[in-house]
Amino acid sequence: MIRFHVTNHSLAVGQIEVLGVSSASMLQVGDTDNVMLYSMFDTPPESVIVGPLAPFPSPEGADTAIGESNVQDD
Amino acid sequence: MSKMTSASFPPRTSQVGVLCIISAASAAAVQLGDRGETRAKLRALAVQRQEDHTESGNVYFESYPLFRRPYPVLRDPVAESGALIETRFENAEPCIRVGCIRIIAAGNASSVQIGNGKLVSGDSRIKHIRQYPKQQPDGQSPDGQDKET
Repeated sequence: MIRFHVTNHSLAVGQIEVLGVSSASMLQVGDTDNVMLYSMFDTPPESVIVGPLAPFPSPEGADTAIGESNVQDD
Repeated sequence: MSKMTSASFPPRTSQVGVLCIISAASAAAVQLGDRGETRAKLRALAVQRQEDHTESGNVYFESYPLFRRPYPVLRDPVAESGALIETRFENAEPCIRVGCIRIIAAGNASSVQIGNGKLVSGDSRIKHIRQYPKQQPDGQSPDGQDKET
């Protein structure tokens, strides 16, 4: 049995200056029970393609897929 | 996993004097008030290439496993062993006070909130692709060989 007991006393902050809240991050003034934040960022090695300009490979079932405009589907 | 949670009592309120945000874009949420659940999600293919999409073909999310990748699993041996966890929060002071918040930009499935929440979930997946022809030192046009790296 684990007991986790928190007592929150006075919390007062003068000023918060943030340059950017980026890629699945959060800034909150308040309480939250559960936080799950994931960010995946992929740049190299396939990001740099040096060579003749060829079309990108089409995925399986590309004929039926709508492509980059089809963002709402999983 | 057995869990006993008594919600924090009394719930704290947040008082903010000034909130100044210049930009909130790409599945960003700005909220003043309480919230049950947030599920922000962003998928992006950032393509930079010399030719336009009509010539070089379409780009598909399905081509890249990054967009199918499952979430990493958080392993908690204490919770997996079935131990009872009792959490208790007491708020001696009913207010969180902040004078001034200045944010230049919030983007990519992010959340800015003044108030309480229950669940915040954010998922951002971005894949960068840069495609450009190789510069030949002798000024000849690129050969037909595949030079993908």
